[in-house]
Amino acid sequence: MKFRTSLVAACALALMGLQSTAFAKGDAERGREKSQVCQACHGVDGNGIGDPQYPLLAGQYEDYLAYALRAYQKGDRQNAIMQGFVATLTEQDIEDLAAYYAGQKGQLGDLSHYR
Amino acid sequence: MKLIPLILATGALSVAATAQAADTEAGRVLAYTCTGCHGIPGYTNAYPNYRVPKIAGQNRDYLVAALTAYNKGERRHPTMRAQGESLSAEDIDNIASYLASLREAQ
Repeated sequence: MKFRTSLVAACALALMGLQSTAFAKGDAERGREKSQVCQACHGVDGNGIGDPQYPLLAGQYEDYLAYALRAYQKGDRQNAIMQGFVATLTEQDIEDLAAYYAGQKGQLGDLSHYR
Repeated sequence: MKLIPLILATGALSVAATAQAADTEAGRVLAYTCTGCHGIPGYTNAYPNYRVPKIAGQNRDYLVAALTAYNKGERRHPTMRAQGESLSAEDIDNIASYLASLREAQ
């Protein structure tokens, strides 16, 4: 009985290990390097260029940023400019870019103060 | 005699201004619905799992584009589509203006 429990635990741990390999966490420094092309519209640090048509990215949730990039990649979001940029991104690039922008200081917030 | 066209022009201008300028107060009232998800820090969307975006202080025209895309069904998130479909272009304008006006003091 005890053996069975530890076997299950071992399997669970192994699975967790696999999962963390498959979804390697984003590297913000690598993300910063890859963000060069984003800067023209989103600004150096994701705080924009003063043009309200482009979203601010600084301080946005990391997992949402990654989700949005994947949505552009899959065509779930249609945008001519973004379509071109995401075409060449790997899953690791997406994680890195998301980590970089999520770590920048910005003015975005949730609506918890406005409920 | 000269005054009449001037009054008419002024009237026309103020009507145009009313039609143009977004009503952030109306936007604030409409945006109450948004707080159900966007007002809970770290609130997580299910399938796929990700935290719903921070939208307070986001740029206005981007918010208009995003809400319009949900309104037209071009963005597929089910809850956001349902919300977007019920909004007029004027509603979207007002909500976007209100949200953009909320800038966090850093």
